[in-house]
Amino acid sequence: MPAMPSPAIQARGVTKTFGRVRALAGLDLDVARGEIVGLLGPNGSGKMTFIRTLAGLIRPESGSIEVLGRSPSRAVADGQVGYMTQAAALYGELTVEENLRFFAALNGVRAAGPRIADALATVDLADRRTSPVNTLSGGMRSRVSLAAALLHAPSVLLLDEPTVGVDPVQRREFWNHFRSLAAAGTTILVSSHVMDEASRCDRLGLIRDGAIVAEGSAARLVERAGAADLESAFLILAEASR
Amino acid sequence: MSVRRVAAVAGRIASQFRRDHRSLGLLVAAPILIMSLIGALWGSVDPASVRVVIAGDGATPPAAALTASLSRAAGLSVRSAGLDAAVASLRDGSADAVVVLAGSPRVIVEGSDPTRTSGTLTALTRALAAALGPATPAPPVEYLYGGPSASLLDSLAPGLIAYFGFFFMFLLAAVSFLRERTSGTLERLLASPLTRGELVAGYLAGFTLFALLQAVILIVFTIAVLGVSYRGGIGAIFVVAAGVATIAVALGLLVSAYARNELQAVQFIPLVILPQGFLSGLLVPVDRLPDLLRPLAGAMPLTYAIEALRAVMVKGYPLGDGLVLRDLAIMAAFGVAALVGAALSIRREVA
Ligand SMILES: Nc1ncnc2c1ncn2[C@@H]1O[C@H](COP(=O)(O)OP(=O)(O)OP(=O)(O)O)[C@@H](O)[C@H]1O
Ligand SMILES: [Mg+2]
Repeated sequence: MPAMPSPAIQARGVTKTFGRVRALAGLDLDVARGEIVGLLGPNGSGKMTFIRTLAGLIRPESGSIEVLGRSPSRAVADGQVGYMTQAAALYGELTVEENLRFFAALNGVRAAGPRIADALATVDLADRRTSPVNTLSGGMRSRVSLAAALLHAPSVLLLDEPTVGVDPVQRREFWNHFRSLAAAGTTILVSSHVMDEASRCDRLGLIRDGAIVAEGSAARLVERAGAADLESAFLILAEASR
Repeated sequence: MSVRRVAAVAGRIASQFRRDHRSLGLLVAAPILIMSLIGALWGSVDPASVRVVIAGDGATPPAAALTASLSRAAGLSVRSAGLDAAVASLRDGSADAVVVLAGSPRVIVEGSDPTRTSGTLTALTRALAAALGPATPAPPVEYLYGGPSASLLDSLAPGLIAYFGFFFMFLLAAVSFLRERTSGTLERLLASPLTRGELVAGYLAGFTLFALLQAVILIVFTIAVLGVSYRGGIGAIFVVAAGVATIAVALGLLVSAYARNELQAVQFIPLVILPQGFLSGLLVPVDRLPDLLRPLAGAMPLTYAIEALRAVMVKGYPLGDGLVLRDLAIMAAFGVAALVGAALSIRREVA
């Protein structure tokens, strides 16, 4: 019997407190390789905090986390993780291309030129290559931020509300791209408040007060809640867990 | 003009500020700290006794008589030694003046610091006049460094070069690293294979370029435009100035881990920059500091930078001189400690 490949992401009983705020309260989640999992949950439910623990930025107080079978910081050091923060974190004085060049170099991308061109084509910003980032619109900045997370073709992509402020046409393009990445084996964990986006995930994790309260495909969650659509299912399940 | 709107803005500012406890604390503490420093510095003006070495045969009657009579003068501490040893103690700073008794008496002073020199000469000539009698003409004065024409600026320039270099690089590094934190890009850097050590080294290298440029401008300007005289090699001056900048950048990075915003970063000026201005030998020689403050000077990197830069610029010591090497070594230790501290502090969560 072939050894089961370890899941791309495996979190067990993860907790983290900020002062008096319990941001993560025993969170469990598995994400298989090549799977797209959506994290849904109200504001302040711990989505970013969880993503930050996966990116090696926060050490949980208890519980265990593995990314690709190793510690998150190991996976990050190996260049296997791409992280897109909720707010576009870029250098405003630098141009789009200078930003991408910098992040490519940090991640040890060789022959950055073609990869940058690819990433810019993906987010449809090839014509703004030489614009300083602080002259771009909010949605455009999000797109550059995504491009920066894609450059080194990471095995695990962590996306914190990647499509905030992004128009519907671009959003569809993003998701087509995510699909093709997943088909090629990239694992994607994406947080979102957008239901149409959530329904495109293979699986959803409903998070509330720092713990997963419901898990499954969009169809299963709708069925379980006995709701008409995902949005009402979300509202019902979120209420039920109070 | 609407009073209500003005009041709204004023009220908002007040409540924001009220929540920033550190800024509030500093508002009170900083002036007290600085004023007590100044008070300790100039209030207890230490009538430091002028240390005189009589060079000559201590046994011959005139030398012995002179030694005895100078010893009685207030504010003078007198010992005797051979000429070479006496000059050596001038060099290493353990004496302020040498009275040479071979032939007609003459006086040698160190001369690199005009304030100190004039203080020394005033006390010594008065005592000498009393000891030798009014008939004897005042003995000629020789200067080990500088000379009677050395201006205050000549002696201040090395300190100022070090001080301003430190000041600007510190602020620049602290504020730009803080922006890395507040803009979220630090988050992105830490979620990449970049290590903390690499990040600090990168910052250091990036800023060193500008620090060197600034050092060139400062040095060229003080020498060419202000006409400050210097004796050492320009290269040696440059090495010390670059060392100062390195420490400043490292300290700036370290400090930015403990600030939440630019305002709080700027507040480190009265804590880190100003005390060094008072205590590192820029204004008052370190050995003249009140006993209470002198240990503080020893804990400040600028003390060594200014000492080294003075040695190189005013006294013309080469880089290989023992004193300069010792200062550079201490500066290097400060630099390494600050860099390690900076690297360790990067992950500090500033929420
Ligand atoms: N660095 C921090 N310091 C203090 N509290 C924090 C910090 N980061 C998160 N928190 C707290 O942890 C909780 C979870 O926050 P988190 O940002 O993970 O929520 P989220 O699910 O991403 O919310 P949103 O949908 O609004 O983006 C919140 O109560 C928040 O205030
Ligand atoms: Mg969030």
